[in-house]
Amino acid sequence: MLDLCLLAVMDEGQAYGYEMTKRLRERGLATVGEGSIYPLLGRLEREGLVETYRAASRGGPPRKYYSPSSAGRVALALGVSEWRAARDAIDAVLASVKVEVAS
Amino acid sequence: MSEFVEQCRREWRRLGVADPLAEEMAADLASDLEAAEAEGVSAADYLGGSASDPRSFAASWASERGVIPAPPGRENGRRTPRALVAFTALAAITVIVAALLLATGEPKVALETRTAPPHLPLPSARPSVPAGTGHRVQASAASPVEWILLFVALAALGFSAWLWLRWRSSRSPIGSPGGRSLS
Repeated sequence: MLDLCLLAVMDEGQAYGYEMTKRLRERGLATVGEGSIYPLLGRLEREGLVETYRAASRGGPPRKYYSPSSAGRVALALGVSEWRAARDAIDAVLASVKVEVAS
Repeated sequence: MSEFVEQCRREWRRLGVADPLAEEMAADLASDLEAAEAEGVSAADYLGGSASDPRSFAASWASERGVIPAPPGRENGRRTPRALVAFTALAAITVIVAALLLATGEPKVALETRTAPPHLPLPSARPSVPAGTGHRVQASAASPVEWILLFVALAALGFSAWLWLRWRSSRSPIGSPGGRSLS
């Protein structure tokens, strides 16, 4: 699911690696560290789901910016649709569960 | 933390990643680490557990990106041996041709006997041909050759089948490179 989240945050606006991590953390995905986004970005790039370009940063080395390709946007739409369907199905199953927390 | 980037670079070189790609990935990582540090996030915090294992991190990244070249031996093992394909095709064609020749009985060898002119003596090998007459005898003289051809071709076909089985069994199992889907 993390690759879907990466596509979603870069769909909001092109971003480089660290920037994507920040956007994910701002939404509560604080466990994204571990450098795990780099292999995922590599795979998205290999599968043609992202487009990349390099641009100079302020006073630093050039950065690699990512944005979803047209295939990436299709994959994002399909992924979100599948995720929502799965979430609704799971919600329907769990809705009948009565949670009692012993104090 | 430049040491982390340097260790990644060494690992990519060891894995056979092309230098321009390794440099590009190292530059991407270095710029992200620099951006994180500029905001007060240490490299160890940014990379988490990966910070202590740069080799695994580098290998995972290169593998997912598909920039690690396949070992040459594996590539050769995957390739269909052209010589074996040609040999099998030749054997199969020969079997078909031999079978067709046997089925149709062609080509037949025409044996023609002629009466020799009176002033020439008949060859002693043909004493039974009556003088002054001639006739043609058609015989499928090639049949023994066709049978031999058929048996040899069938043997070759069997041999090629055995070679194909050996080739298949010698192939190492191939793992698909890291393909998780988006679902």
